[in-house]
Amino acid sequence: MRVLLSLVVVLTLSGIMTSCGDSTDVVESGTYKGTIKEVEADKDEIYVTTDDDKVLELYFTEDTKLTRKGEPVEFSELEEGQKVEVEVEKKGKKLDPIRVDIQE
Amino acid sequence: MRTELWHPLIVHWPIVALLLGTLFSIAGFFIKAKGWRYATSALLVIGVVGAWAAYITGEWADGEVARNLCDPTILKAHENAAFTCNVFFSIATGIQLLNYFNLVFLPPKLVHFIVAILLCTGSYFLYKTGHLGAELVYEQAAGVQVPSENCSEFE
Repeated sequence: MRVLLSLVVVLTLSGIMTSCGDSTDVVESGTYKGTIKEVEADKDEIYVTTDDDKVLELYFTEDTKLTRKGEPVEFSELEEGQKVEVEVEKKGKKLDPIRVDIQE
Repeated sequence: MRTELWHPLIVHWPIVALLLGTLFSIAGFFIKAKGWRYATSALLVIGVVGAWAAYITGEWADGEVARNLCDPTILKAHENAAFTCNVFFSIATGIQLLNYFNLVFLPPKLVHFIVAILLCTGSYFLYKTGHLGAELVYEQAAGVQVPSENCSEFE
C-alpha cells in the first residue's frame, strides 16, 4: 500500500516537474554571449543559453544577419554547442534576432 | 490546407474523450453495469491516441505561428502542459488496460483508485493546456488569418 502511494506521489511530482521544465526567458534588447542549446532547422529557430544562464528562443527573420567571425554564413552552419554572440530586439515578449555571430 | 489548421481540427476530440473517460472512471466506483469498464477503457484509449496526435500537430503549428506571437512563452507553457497532460493520461490508460485484462496483481479497487487520481491530475493539466491554448488564439491571434480592413478578400 505504501509502495503504491509512493508511486502515485512520484508520478504526480514528476509530471508537475515536467510541466515546469524547458521554459525560455525574455531579456531586454541588447547583445548577449552564449552557447547554442538547440537548432531547429525546419523552423529557422535556435535556442541560446546565455552566459548568465538564460535560455533565449530565437526565430530568424528575413532581416537576421548570420555571420561567423563577421563573415556571412548559411543557417546550416549553426550547430549545438557553438559559442555565439546574439543581438536581439525585444518586441512585446518576443525576441527578434538582429544579428547572430558564430564565434568559433 | 494550412499546416497550422490540423491542430484545432484534431485537438477537440481527445479533450472530449479524456474528460468523459475520467468521469466514467469516477462513476465506475458506483456503477457496476456490465461493459462500463470497457467503455471507460475505450474512451481513454481513443483519448490518448488523439492527445498524442494533437501534440504532434501542435508541433507542426508551432513552426508556422510562433514567430508571429507577441509572447511566445505562452506557447512554450502550452506545449509543456500538453506534454505533462499526455504523460498522465498515458500512464493512467496503461494501468487501466492492464487492470482490464487482469494483469495487475493488486486489489482492483486500489488500482481503480490510482487510475482515478492520475486521470484527475491529467484533467487538471488538460484544463491548463486548453486555457493557454485559448490565450494564444484569443489574445495573440495564433493561426488566425486576419481579414483586411475593407474585407476585400470576401467580395
